[in-house]
Order: sequence, then structure tokens, then C-alpha cells
Amino acid sequence: MAVTQTMVNHALQIMADKNAPVQQRRRQLREAIENEFDFSEMSRSALGYHWRALSPNQRSQFTQLFTAFIEDAYLSKIQDYSGQQVQFQGQTPLGQGYTQINTAIVQGSKSPISVNYLLLQKDTTWKIYDVTVDAISIIANYRNQFNRVINEKGFGQLMADLQAKQQELASLLGS
Amino acid sequence: MSRFLKTCVWGMTQPWFRANIAVSIDFGRLMAGGKLVKTIFAALLFALTVTVAPAFCADLPAPPPGPPGEYAQSYGDPLAPFNEKMFWFNLKLDKYVLHPVASGYAFVLPKPARESVGNFFNNVNFIPRAANNLFQLKMANAGGEVARFGINSTLGAGGLFDVADSWFGLKQHNDDFGLTLGHYGVGSGAYIVWPFLGPSTVRDTVGYAADSAMWPLPYFVPWYVSLPTGAGKAVVEAVNYRSLHLNLFEEVDRYAIDLYGAVQDGYMQRRAARLKDINSD
Repeated sequence: MAVTQTMVNHALQIMADKNAPVQQRRRQLREAIENEFDFSEMSRSALGYHWRALSPNQRSQFTQLFTAFIEDAYLSKIQDYSGQQVQFQGQTPLGQGYTQINTAIVQGSKSPISVNYLLLQKDTTWKIYDVTVDAISIIANYRNQFNRVINEKGFGQLMADLQAKQQELASLLGS
Repeated sequence: MSRFLKTCVWGMTQPWFRANIAVSIDFGRLMAGGKLVKTIFAALLFALTVTVAPAFCADLPAPPPGPPGEYAQSYGDPLAPFNEKMFWFNLKLDKYVLHPVASGYAFVLPKPARESVGNFFNNVNFIPRAANNLFQLKMANAGGEVARFGINSTLGAGGLFDVADSWFGLKQHNDDFGLTLGHYGVGSGAYIVWPFLGPSTVRDTVGYAADSAMWPLPYFVPWYVSLPTGAGKAVVEAVNYRSLHLNLFEEVDRYAIDLYGAVQDGYMQRRAARLKDINSD
């Protein structure tokens, strides 16, 4: 989808603009990504079957926190960015209402990293519900982590751990 | 369970199943005359048959597209208590031994030299790669691996330079016996974390043992030469690899809520993806 390509290119521009203040770049990047990701679908998927056991209140609290976490994780990539190029390598349709956009991050002489965006159609717009890096689904990876924390220590602990990590990432970004 | 039973019943109706039983009875008779041995042998082959059978009916329905949402399956981890101990042991070993040693090594040896050391080990480890491509009947890849070894060992200064890729465009095709077993339908089995070796599964452990047995040195020199050589090789290989990926864990840890779970899932997903790759090309 063209919107994803626009978003990724826009994000790259923001990341490459080393002269602008970090604060400003964060705000721009957040604005660029927030409408392209389906954070509620990501949250539901990342909790797996535990989602059904949660109250509406817990669900919205989790979605809010996980959204902030993903945003900060994405934003923290600003620091790592050193001019890598993103190549768009077309789409793989995944069936009615689903598609995958394939990209490769080219980094000099090292072998490129494949980063694919999984999108679903909501009414007329396409939104990202998962990202795979080197064939590893990020949401599925968090699902395994969250499942372990909930089973061993409960949902409350997961919220506490997630919050701590999110704040850690946020402080890494500088306020 | 019902799928397993169905597979068993289906397996028993196949001609190769009866052939297996006939062979097993003959073989049992040959090995020892007693009835008990015959029965055990037949039973063992039966077990093997039903394990292999699912590979022949690999028309499992593909999962529906889109996010699995709240119906996502998670895999079990029956060895979790052992695995977690080993995971933290490996992490400490890495933190206090491997990472400091690799950092010092990276400091004294420039990157191109370390990349050449990596190429050297890649080159000498060509036998399992070639063999497993062969086992999966990927003749071009298997031949390519042998050609790569020939080219890199000579023109590539004993394997220090991967000229087979840069001059001749012959890409390396990574493969191992765990993938060969997977290719023929063997499931991954439980997740296991080994001390020193790291994440694996039951299937990949068997694969690792088989691949290790292809290392030729122990067949030519006495054990008191091959054992220290093998250990030394493993250590240098590990240090060299770590020196080329110095922030391997730090990257994962920065974004992980549960590091063990992140590494476990990463391993399982990576292996599943590799298997899908080799099955589709």
C-alpha cells in the first residue's frame, strides 16, 4: 500500500534529519506512524487468549500502555539509524482484506535485513497489524513473552513490567 | 489425539506399512530367533512408521490470513524449569566470560581479519551443509557447497576469503540435519536450552549430534588430539562470532519484557521460517 511506503519514507527522512532537535523529531515520527498502525488489533493479538479474561477497563489500559511502548520502541530506533536504505520489494497478498508489504533494509556490505509489514483493511484504509523482522513476527514474539509473564506472575505484573520498560525506553529518548 | 489415531489407521492401510512389517519380522528373525525380539522389533518399526507417516500426508490446512488475535496458539515448554536455569547460566557465562573476551579480541584484531576467521570456519564446516542439501535432494546446492569449498580453499587462501561468492556468485546454502529431519516431517519436539550451546529443540539436538559426527578429524587422529582440537575450535569459533555481533543480546534485551520468552520465540520462529524456506525452494 502506498500509504505504508509514504510512512516509511517519511519516517526515514525524520530519522536522517540529525540537525533537528530530538523532541521535534519524536513528535513528527509519532504523528507519522500513529495513523498507520492498528494498535488495538496489535494489543489484542499480543495477549492471545488472555484477552478474553480481561475486563473492558483492563483491555483499554493495556492497549494504551502497549501503544506507548511500541511507539517508544520505534522512536528509539532514531539513535541506531545511520543512513540505512529501505528497498520496497512489492506486495504479497494474504487473502481478502490482508496483505504483506516486503522491504529490505540495506546496510552496506552486510546482508540486508528483511522487514515485512502485515496490513489489514479497515473500511477503506489499510493498517499495519504486525511487522516481521528477519521472518520473526514481532507481535507473536511479544505474545510468547506476555503469556509467560501472565501465567507465572499475573496480569498486574505484566502491566508493571511493561510500564517499567516503556519508561526506560522513554528516558533513553531524552525528554 | 483423533488426528494421531487417524494417521495410524491411514498408515496401516499403506503398502509400505505392510512391507515394513514383513521386513521387520524377517530382520527380527535374522537377528535372533526368539519371538519376543521379533515382537519388539516389529513394534519399534511400527512406532517409526506412524511417526514418519504424517510426513506423507502433509496437506494440513494453511492457517487463515490476518492476525490470529485472541485465538493464537502458544507452544508448551515442558522443560521450562531446566531451560530457565540453563538460560540464565548461559547469559552469565556470556556476560562475564564470552562478551569480555570477545571485546578484547575485537580490540586487538581488526574487523576484516575477524571476518576472515569467520570465513575460515564457514569453509571448514562445509561437510554438513553439503551433506544435508544432498539429503534433501537439493543437488545444485550440495554441488555448490563442494565447489565453494574447492574454490575458497585454493583461490580464497585456505578459506579466509569467500571468493566463491564475490567472484563466482556461488552463494552459501546453510543447512543442517535438524532441517533435514524437519523436511521429512519430523516435528520440532520440546524446546531445550543447553548449557554453552544455547537454544535448541529435541529435533535440532539430534540434528546437531548428527552434524557434529560429520566433523572428520576424530576419524583420522586419536581422541587425545581430536578432543582438544575440537574444543579449541568451538571456543575460537564462539569468540570470533560474538566479536562480530557484540550487541547481539543488548539489542534484544532493550525491547524484551521477558528475555527468556523473547529468545525462545525468536528461535522457534526462526527455525520454522528456515524450514519453510528450504521446503519451498
